[in-house]
This record gives sequence, structure tokens and C-alpha cells, in this order.
Amino acid sequence: MSLLDKIDSVKKRFLADIENFPLENDKINHIKSSYLGRKGEVANLFLMLSSVDKSDKPIIGAALNHLKKELNTLFQKKLEENSTSKKNKANSLIDLTLPGTIQRYGSKHILEQTLQEIKEIFTSIGFHVAYGPEVDDEYHNFSALNIPEHHPSRDMQDTFFIDPTTILRSHTSNVQVHLMENEDPPIRYIVPGRVYRNEAISYKSYCLFHQVEGIYINEKVSFAELKGCLEYFIKRMFGDKKKMRFRPSFFPFTEPSAEVDIWDEERNQWMEILGCGMVDPAVLDNVGYDSQQWHGYAFGMGVERMAMLKYNINDIRLFYNGDIRFMSQFS
Amino acid sequence: MIVSLEWLKNFVDIQETPEQLAEILSNLGLEAEPSKVPSNLPGVIIGKVESTKKHPNADKLKICEVNDGKNIHQVICGAPNVSDGQYIAYATIGTTLPGNFKIKKVNIRGEESFGMICSERELQISDEHEGIMVLPEDLTLGDDFCLSFGYKFLSVELDITPNRPDAFSHMGVARDIAAATQRKLKQMDTKSIDPKQEYNIDISIENEIECPRYIGGIIKNVHVEKSPEWLVDYMKSIGQKSINNIVDISNFVLFELGHPTHIFDYDKLKEKNIRIRKANSGEKIITLDESNLDLNESNLLITSGGEPIALAGVIGGINSSVTENTTSLLLESAYFDPVTIRKSAKSQFLSTEASKRYERGVDPNGCLKAFCRVVELICEITKGEFVSDVVDIYPKEILSKKVVLRRSEIDLILGYHFKTEKINKILESLEINYLDNNEKWECTIPTFRPDIEREIDLIEEVARIAGFDLIPSDENIYGTFRYQMPDPDNILNKIRDSFSSFGFHQIYSNSLQNEKESNISGLVPIPMLNPLNVDMGFLRTSLFPGLVKAGNYNIKNGTKSFRLYELGNVHQSTGDGLINIIESQYLSGIIYGNKIDTSIHEDESPETIYDIKGVLYSLFNKRLNMNVKFDFGDNYALELVQSISVNNNKIGHYGRLSEKFIMDLGLEFDKDIYGFEINIQPIKKMMNSKKSFKKINLFPKIERDINLVLKKEQAVGEILELIHKLGRQLIIDAQPVNIYTDKNAIGEDCKSVTFSLIFQHSSKTLEDKDVNLIINEIVNFAEKNFDAKLRA
Repeated sequence: MSLLDKIDSVKKRFLADIENFPLENDKINHIKSSYLGRKGEVANLFLMLSSVDKSDKPIIGAALNHLKKELNTLFQKKLEENSTSKKNKANSLIDLTLPGTIQRYGSKHILEQTLQEIKEIFTSIGFHVAYGPEVDDEYHNFSALNIPEHHPSRDMQDTFFIDPTTILRSHTSNVQVHLMENEDPPIRYIVPGRVYRNEAISYKSYCLFHQVEGIYINEKVSFAELKGCLEYFIKRMFGDKKKMRFRPSFFPFTEPSAEVDIWDEERNQWMEILGCGMVDPAVLDNVGYDSQQWHGYAFGMGVERMAMLKYNINDIRLFYNGDIRFMSQFS
Repeated sequence: MIVSLEWLKNFVDIQETPEQLAEILSNLGLEAEPSKVPSNLPGVIIGKVESTKKHPNADKLKICEVNDGKNIHQVICGAPNVSDGQYIAYATIGTTLPGNFKIKKVNIRGEESFGMICSERELQISDEHEGIMVLPEDLTLGDDFCLSFGYKFLSVELDITPNRPDAFSHMGVARDIAAATQRKLKQMDTKSIDPKQEYNIDISIENEIECPRYIGGIIKNVHVEKSPEWLVDYMKSIGQKSINNIVDISNFVLFELGHPTHIFDYDKLKEKNIRIRKANSGEKIITLDESNLDLNESNLLITSGGEPIALAGVIGGINSSVTENTTSLLLESAYFDPVTIRKSAKSQFLSTEASKRYERGVDPNGCLKAFCRVVELICEITKGEFVSDVVDIYPKEILSKKVVLRRSEIDLILGYHFKTEKINKILESLEINYLDNNEKWECTIPTFRPDIEREIDLIEEVARIAGFDLIPSDENIYGTFRYQMPDPDNILNKIRDSFSSFGFHQIYSNSLQNEKESNISGLVPIPMLNPLNVDMGFLRTSLFPGLVKAGNYNIKNGTKSFRLYELGNVHQSTGDGLINIIESQYLSGIIYGNKIDTSIHEDESPETIYDIKGVLYSLFNKRLNMNVKFDFGDNYALELVQSISVNNNKIGHYGRLSEKFIMDLGLEFDKDIYGFEINIQPIKKMMNSKKSFKKINLFPKIERDINLVLKKEQAVGEILELIHKLGRQLIIDAQPVNIYTDKNAIGEDCKSVTFSLIFQHSSKTLEDKDVNLIINEIVNFAEKNFDAKLRA
């Protein structure tokens, strides 16, 4: 058989093979490689070209080149036809009105998120965050904070006792005392943590909650700075239009003491959100800071209360029962 | 404490509504809310019951003719006390009473009723609802009820902080109002008493520190009877019940001046002497409210003839109490030491109007004024006569404190410069006398303000009365930088974020548990001396009970699957005292149900123990870049359990929650719960490790599968370990991809495991021969040591 005949024969076989173009990729690849691959039929024909007469070479060479081009074009065409028909076949099964495949996502607890927000606000204005023990002695929780043993101010917090001198902390202020005992001023910290109160459980009170207390001690610290700091906090937490007021109050560890209220549009009333004041000189003296030289302010707030006001949550127990219907609202 | 607006007006001018007054008081540090007594009730007018007759069709109802000054209306009334001639509060048709109660014309059992005769409860003046409110007869028919009579009961309710005993009275509250509004405070003049010598009372104080002052005197010929109307109304306005004229007068002075007094029936005293002394253990007293108290050494007593007649400063004894037959009184006005009264009252679990004031500190120099006031009122109202000397035992006078207030400190602490004139005015309005020595106020503090002892207390008074609003906010940040991590907890956010993305919900559960739950871990839990209830008597030692209970709660509410975790503290005791209480931060989680629910796209796929293991592997290995290993382990809550180690520190366990554990919690689940428990203390330290970039390997990978036939009991993990060991760093990943059993093809006690291996060299292109060498080694080794066979 002459080479030209062979060319013709390869073409015929190729046309036959692609007539029933396969759907599977490996079969498609097989066709491609057996004709157009490095060791395929076309490549073989080119190898044979070296053995033909010199005079025939231009004609046969041109025919071979033509064959290669033609086969490539035909194969590409078939391939495209094939993929379109495959897609059409598959597309006819896709119904985009069906729901998507749901990806599950969990949640950080809303108290965690609220605390994170509080921490971010205060660290942005120079506060560091410190932590301390939930079980402490009566001295760090009360006496050092100017709450004497036989004083009605002890009644302000119903406390759980482990033994007569060991308690579950009723506020995180105990950590302030530890901090000041261990560090020289100036200091500027917030202290978040779990605190306990021996109070009946209802929609508005629970036997424990989470508090963030702050303390700043330096040589010159004023009530005006305290106001500035907390106004910044409240505006970032609740928006810069939030109406707020500072109202005189009493805490044994601060003087003057104030309570801060924000205006609740929905309830049409003031809502208490935190307590604060200038650190009482007795507290400074108790931890060995010279109260003539050092001054400071302190504040304390409940994370639960912040979250309840911010997200309109009406029952404090929702935070602790692990209800997914509640938690997934804050994913 | 409730204060009445009418009562306050005796001491200071008040134009405000209860709401406005509450705002003023709140801004003074006396947190106040208006009480629910309405200041305005349009449609409720003064009426008169002209006649009553029985309702023909109802036994308990009466048909009344009510005169509104112009017309007569028929009104049906069911109150037992309604009768002819009474002046009453008449709610006319169209009136809306508190609670959105609209008055309409109604037909009651065939008789028409045009309006209503009101009870005190319907008018929200008190809780009295047995009968209608009967009004004085000097009122004008047809006048508005609130304007002509109801205003008497307007009040605000105060929440007095423990530092302000002076504010526990109308006088004290009026003083603050006068100071804040710069109105004049009307001082009260009490008539002085003419001492007489007709009767004598011998008073002695054994414990002068506990009882620094005691005044006594005798009043004869009193008539104990109903209090006059004005006194009843005053009591009603502050939510107090009227008892009789003697008790009411003592209470009236208590609420007026803040000073408790006590009145004994003089004739009931065993001997005509009074001795104040500490109680001996074993002594007893029956109090006015008929409780039988066993006295202890912290109790201070008023005794007569050696017998206790009152628990000093707290409550009187029944053996000396005033009754309707009483005609002679011994009046006490004393000052007791605050700590003594607090300990005494606390030891008996008592808190009374008197003890509340004494333990905060009443005015030792106000005893006489209160005494005179009570005598004055008793003589006036009960026609009694004061017949003795005013016996005033006051061995050591308690003097006013001197405190210096410096301008420099006011400016420094408040950050605002108040004008000198303003400071002067504030001090004067609080009855603080001062010598102004070039911006240095040398102050004399009245003894009714025991809370003012130091300069800072005076600075607070200045700020409080001036109003915090006057002090501007300073929006600068002062102070120094610190080069330390702002928040050591921040590293845990990686863990929290990972769990969110793994589909876990974070819970916060109660740290207080019952005995069984807290003992379940085998660690020694810490009990509370004064638990809230038996279910919350101990601190938790494990996070599992809280998680499992939360899981149960969700299942009860219709959830079929959950992934939950908690990051929180647990406590255990390793011995006596605080020093042996160990607080540890734990991370625990549980999974239950399906990880994939059946949908149109996927078949359901249940949570398995491999899911919890995979979560932990992904967290530590992928997210935290730590080397995590799982090994044999044992845990109180888990069966099918492995220990978890990261970077060679054992940190916890994972596994299936055992049936026993769940039963011990009193719970039951249809499907298995898988969980883990980790002490994160050791992890925290490792989490600060620095990450650094590794060059991406661009050399080609070679993938190979090998099929090994293994004994059924052979742990696949051991083979994987072998593969890695023999891999000479060239095997970058090896995973079992298929486990296959077939009795005939493989043999009864064998399984065929397919491992997919990925080879890659860090500095050259691997060739088949490099890979074949390793594979042969693995197969040979496995055949020799693990009884494995290569499957063709």
C-alpha cells in the first residue's frame, strides 16, 4: 500500500471511531492518543515519510500535514459537540428552585461576643485585661475594698460562703486588689469574670453573672476623665446618639460614686447600666498605695445587662440553659 | 422607704409632681421612683351617699343615691361599709380608673348603676379593698377627688444607700431637696418639756460603748385609741398601717426625724428601773410580734428588774408592750452603737425600721429632739401628762467631727473648678459649718451625717449637690504605655472561632450544681455554706453535666442533633482552706444525632466517634499547628475512650459518653453522645508559638495505593505509624481509604485495608524506583511484624 493509501485508511478509521464519540474521558483520551498522540497513527505516518522518494515527498508531506490538521479539527469539533450534549443532558436534571445544601455553622455565646466587644473598646483606649480567681478570701472581696465586716454595705451583695472567710466572689473587684498588691502604679486594667450572688433565680436575676470591672490609677485622675472614658464606652457600645446620665450613688470602694443610666427608647425610661466612681482613698491605703499621691477611678458593669439592653433580651435565664433556638440567633 | 410629698412640704416647698421629684432625688443619690398613687383622676369627684337600700335581687349589693353636688345618681355598691351620709370618691360615667378600668353605665341584676363608689385600691392609694374609702365631711361635693383630697397620698419610693442614715426620714430628704433646689429648709421647733418630779425612773447603762446615750421619761393618763384622721392619712401616705395613737406617734416621729423611739407600758415594768446591758446566753425574750427569741451575747437588752423588756434598737418585748388598756408610758429615745445593733439584729435574723436606722447610725445628738417631739404629740393627742424628769444618761458626749476641705483636692478629684461661692452654699445647705481660710474650709460636720469623716466625703457632697452634669467630660487619655499583651485571653479566640466553624454552639452553664453532679468526676467538689437550694450546693468539677443537661433541654424542645461546647472554670478541693482550692479552665464539648440530615441532595449521616476525633485533630493540628496524639486513656464519663496529647502534654480525653454517666445524671438519650474534655491551661502557653513561612514544595507528587490484608484485630493506626516511620520524610500523607472484608476472597478473620500514599521530595523529582523501594520496605516490614499480606 502506498503511503497515500495509508493516509486515506487512517482517515477512514478515524472517522469511524469518532462517529460514535464516547462520553467517558478515558475513552476520549484513548482515541486522541492513538491517532494524534506522540506514538499515534499520524506520528507513525510521519516516520514513514523519511523512506519515500524524494520527488514524492512534497506531495505526501503536504497530504500528511493536511491529514494532521483535519483530524485535529474534526476531533475538536466532536469534542465540543460532545461536551455541549453532555452538559445539556446534565442541565436538564438541575432544578435551581431546589434548596442548596446547608452548611452548619455554630455560634459564640452572646455573652462571649458582648464581652469581646467590651474588651475591644477598653483596650483601644489603653486598658489591659486581667483575670483572677472566682473563689477568694473575704479580705480581697470585701475588707480591702472598704466593706467592713459589720456594716450594712455588706448587705448590698448576697454572698455565697465556702467557709466563714472564703467566698465565691461577688464582684471581680477582688482581682483589682490582687493587681494592686502585686503591681506598682500607674495601672489601667479591666477585669472580666464570673461572679456569684445568692439571689433567687428569676427572669431578672440569676445566681451568677459576668462582670467587667475597670480600674485606672495614676497621680492625677479626675472624675471628669471617668466621665469621658465611660461616655466613650457607651457611645461605642450603644451608638453615639445614646442619651446617658451620671447619677450619684454609693459604693464602699469609690467616692464620689455614680451610677450611669442610659435612656431606653422602647421602655421610655432610664435604665441603670453600670456603677463607677473615684477609687476610695481607703482602698488605696489598704493595698499600700499612698492615697495622697495616687488617685484613680473604677467602674463595673454586668455583661448580661449590656447584652440584654443591646439585643432586647428579656430573660436572663436564656443565657444559661444552652437553648440552641436562642444561641443560633447570634451565630 | 416611701416619702410623702405632703409630709415633705412641712419642711421644704415642693411644687413638683412625684415624677419630677423622683428625678431630683435620683440626681441627688437618693434613687427614687414615683409610687403608683395617681396625681390625676379625671372624672372621680367628691360625692355623698344620700341613701342606701338593699338590692332587690342580690343579698350583698346595695342601691345608693349618690349626690354629686348637682344631681342624684343611682349607684350599685357591694361594699359592706357603705352607709347613709358618707362622703365618698365617686367615679362618674366615662372615668378611666387605674388599670384601664372604664366606668360605664351598667345593669346589675336588673338595676342600673351610674358610676362607682371607689375603694382605696381602685384609686391606687392603698391595698385596702374590703370597703369603700370614706372621706372627711368638710369636702365640697362635686370637687375633683385628687385635687381636693387624693393629693395627700402622693409619694415617691426611695432606695436609700447604706451610707445615708440621715435620708431615712422626711426631714433628711427635705434637707437634700432644699440643698439641691436652693430652697429654704424649714427647721422643726419642738416644745421643750417641763420636767416634773412626781415620778422617778432610775436608768443605768452597763455597756456605755454599745449604748452611749439613753433618755427616758414617764407619761401618765394617756388614752390609747384610734389615731386622729391626719395621722392615719400620714401613715397611709407612706404605706404604713395605723395601729393606735401611741404606736402611730412613735412611728410618725421615726419617719419624720429618722430617730427611733420606743414606748413601754410603765405599769408593766417589774421594777421602776431601767438597765441597759448585754444579754447572757440562756436568756429569752418574747417580742412584740410574739416570736420567742433565744438571746445570745451579741444582743443588747433593755431590762427592768433584771428582766429583758426589749432587744435594744431592734424590737420591744411583749411583756412591756402598750395595749389598749395602757395608761402610763415609759418613753425611750436612745443612741446605740451601729455595729452592736447590726450584730444583734443579724444574730436573730431580724431587720426592723428601728434596727435599719440604728445600724446605719442615727444622730446621737438628735435623741432629745425626738424625745420632745413624741412627748409633745402624745400630750396633744392622747391627753397624757409628762410627770417625770427627762432622765438623759449621756456619759460621754459625741462631738461633731472636724474635716478640712482643700480647693486643690476638689479641683484634682473632680477635674472641674467649682466657684467658691457655690461650695460655700452647698456646705451651708447641708448644715455644715465652716471657717473659710483662704480656699481651705475647716468644716464641722453635724452628727446626723456619720458618713462624712474625710475630705473625700466632702468632695462627694459638693459634686452630689452641684450635680454630676455640671462636671464636663475630659476626652483625653493620659498615662503611660505598657508593652504587654492587652488581653491574654485573646489566644482562646482561635479555639472559639474553630468551634463555630465546626458547627458547635458555645454554651455558658451554671457553675453551681447538686451534690451528685459535682461528685460525678471523682474530684472533690467545693460545697457552699449557704446554698441557694439543694440543687446548687456545690461548685462544678466538670463541664460534662452542664453540657449533657443542655443537650437534653434541646432534645426536649425538638432539636434532633447538636454540637455544643463550653469553655469555663471548674473547681476542686485538695484539702482544707482557700489555698487548696484549685481553679482550672476547661474546654469540653459533645456531639449528638446527625452531622448531615437527609435532604434531597444527601443521605443522612450520623455523628460518630470519628467526628469528635476529627474535630480535635483539625483544631490542634490544622488550626493551632500543634502535634496532637491520641492514645490509651481512661475517663469517668467516657467509654471507647482515648487520651489526647498535644506537643507531648496529656491534656484530656475524648470518647463516647458512658451509659452509666448519663444514667447518673438521671437522663436518657436515644442515640450515643460523643464528647471530649480538655484542660486548656497547658495549651495556653503553647499557643503563643510563632509561625513562620515554609517554602511551598513545587516538585511533583506521586500517588500510590497499597492493599494490605491484615488480621481483623490489627489496629490500622499501627500500620499508619509504620508507613510514616519508613517513609523517610518522603511520604507527606498517608490515609486509609478503604476497609474491606470478604470471607471467601480474603478469609474469615482478615480485612483488606487500602492505604493511599502521597510521596514528594523537597529538592528533586521523585522517580518510580525511589517510591517502589519504600513501598517494598513497608510491605516487607508489615508482613514480618504485623502478619500482613500484600493483596494483588
